[in-house]
Amino acid sequence: MNQNVRHLDDGVAVLSLGGKLNMVSAPAVRESIAGLVAGGSSRVVVNLEGVEFLDSSGLGALISGLKSTRQAGGDLRIAAPGEQVRLVLRLTNMERVLVPFETAEEAFARA
Amino acid sequence: MTGNSVEVTGLTEAERRAVAELSRQRSLDELGILDTACSERFDRIARTAQQLLGFETVIINFVDHDRQWTKASTRPDLPRVTPRDESFCHFAIQQRAPLIVHEPETDPRFRGNPFVAREDGIRFYAGQSIQGPSGERVGAICVADYGRREFGPEQQAILRDLAVWVEEELALARELTDSARVQSGLLPQSLVTMPGYEASGVCLPIRTVSGDFFDWYPVRGGAAFTLADAMGKGIPAALMAATVRATMRAGSRFDGVASAVEAAAETLDADLENSRTFVTLFHGHLEEDTGVLRYIDAGHGLTLLLHGDGSTERLASTGLPLGVGWDVTWEEREVAMRHGDLLISVSDGVLDAFGGTLDALGQVERIARECSGAAEAVVAAITEEVGSRAPDDVTVLAVRRLPALRA
Repeated sequence: MNQNVRHLDDGVAVLSLGGKLNMVSAPAVRESIAGLVAGGSSRVVVNLEGVEFLDSSGLGALISGLKSTRQAGGDLRIAAPGEQVRLVLRLTNMERVLVPFETAEEAFARA
Repeated sequence: MTGNSVEVTGLTEAERRAVAELSRQRSLDELGILDTACSERFDRIARTAQQLLGFETVIINFVDHDRQWTKASTRPDLPRVTPRDESFCHFAIQQRAPLIVHEPETDPRFRGNPFVAREDGIRFYAGQSIQGPSGERVGAICVADYGRREFGPEQQAILRDLAVWVEEELALARELTDSARVQSGLLPQSLVTMPGYEASGVCLPIRTVSGDFFDWYPVRGGAAFTLADAMGKGIPAALMAATVRATMRAGSRFDGVASAVEAAAETLDADLENSRTFVTLFHGHLEEDTGVLRYIDAGHGLTLLLHGDGSTERLASTGLPLGVGWDVTWEEREVAMRHGDLLISVSDGVLDAFGGTLDALGQVERIARECSGAAEAVVAAITEEVGSRAPDDVTVLAVRRLPALRA
């Protein structure tokens, strides 16, 4: 799994992921988000454009991130999920709390 | 624990040996390793020995009754079963220290051995006994060569460490097998209390134990059904699955389905939070007289109701999974099972096996309609179709209301 972080002008952190977000890679993603929050970036967009597969452990990492950013007064949003990721979000009803945005820039545009 | 070796007095030396061999054989049998398939866990140890010690031939053997059985070998050309009286490892298990044989062709124990008594026969052997959990020497890891070799204290220490590695793998494999047995004991048996209905289920772990489970049990006026999937795979997921099952059962003393799920969610909240996991589940109460099914779907989303008239309803998801931290209420829904209707709920392992899209539910429906029979046959047909394709635990639950008896 590839991870890459960049910061937008308004302080929003964008974590871009590539590959499979599964049981193997989930702990590292969880840690990356925790690291961003600890470093003061509690508004985080996870860009899922490059994620080809999300399993329950991967979803667990996003849920953990959602909790930790909200506890820090921010939020976690997701951008550009593919078909398989959208299906997992839809089946679990998690799309109600992890609303997908088209791009990372849009995710906090109306915040 | 000091093991289960038997201490008996007043025996001859031969009798004492026979008792010790019985105890050894029992220890080997309890490991459940004999005649199992090749396994990367043990092949890896043989390969490591090959690299560290510089021997072409590395074999992990278990000494069973009158034969020697090979679990792992770097020499697939050699037979996996050898008569015990042609076995070097038979002698290696007589001692705790490694057995080093430099000139087997001059050793009365080995010179008649068919692997030795020929021009290109074995000229060097070193074997380190492997102990079972109670200390009995059940087998050996050995290296052999067709030429003379040196084998100093350093090599012997490596061989001893590798034998300990084998012992740890054996203990782990045994523990997993035992865990799987306990877990399958937690699955429900036949549904005897609901005349007019039949239920069947299967739970196939991707690893030895599963993070999915299904369950059913009588509740007032009918029966409760659950299919749940804890995040992840293997032992962590299985521990959570067992906890969820027990909590759901305890919560089902409440009459409403929603109150049962909400009570369970409240009880589980801290556990799920601490272990940073979540659980999706389908839970329903089926009323015997009317066929009314009241259910909650907590982020599961993979339940179908196949009506006898050919129509199919997907019992849509109404709430978030347990443990995600929001939405502590779940909406209870209601649907009627008519005579001949079939309820099927599957875990996402089935979805992944059938291509990972919602079309998978169409396949589940097609398979179920094709076998148009008992719940058990439906479960078996889906399981067969899934085969070994699933990358995740696979669980299938089917409940059928039997067709009405004609007057």
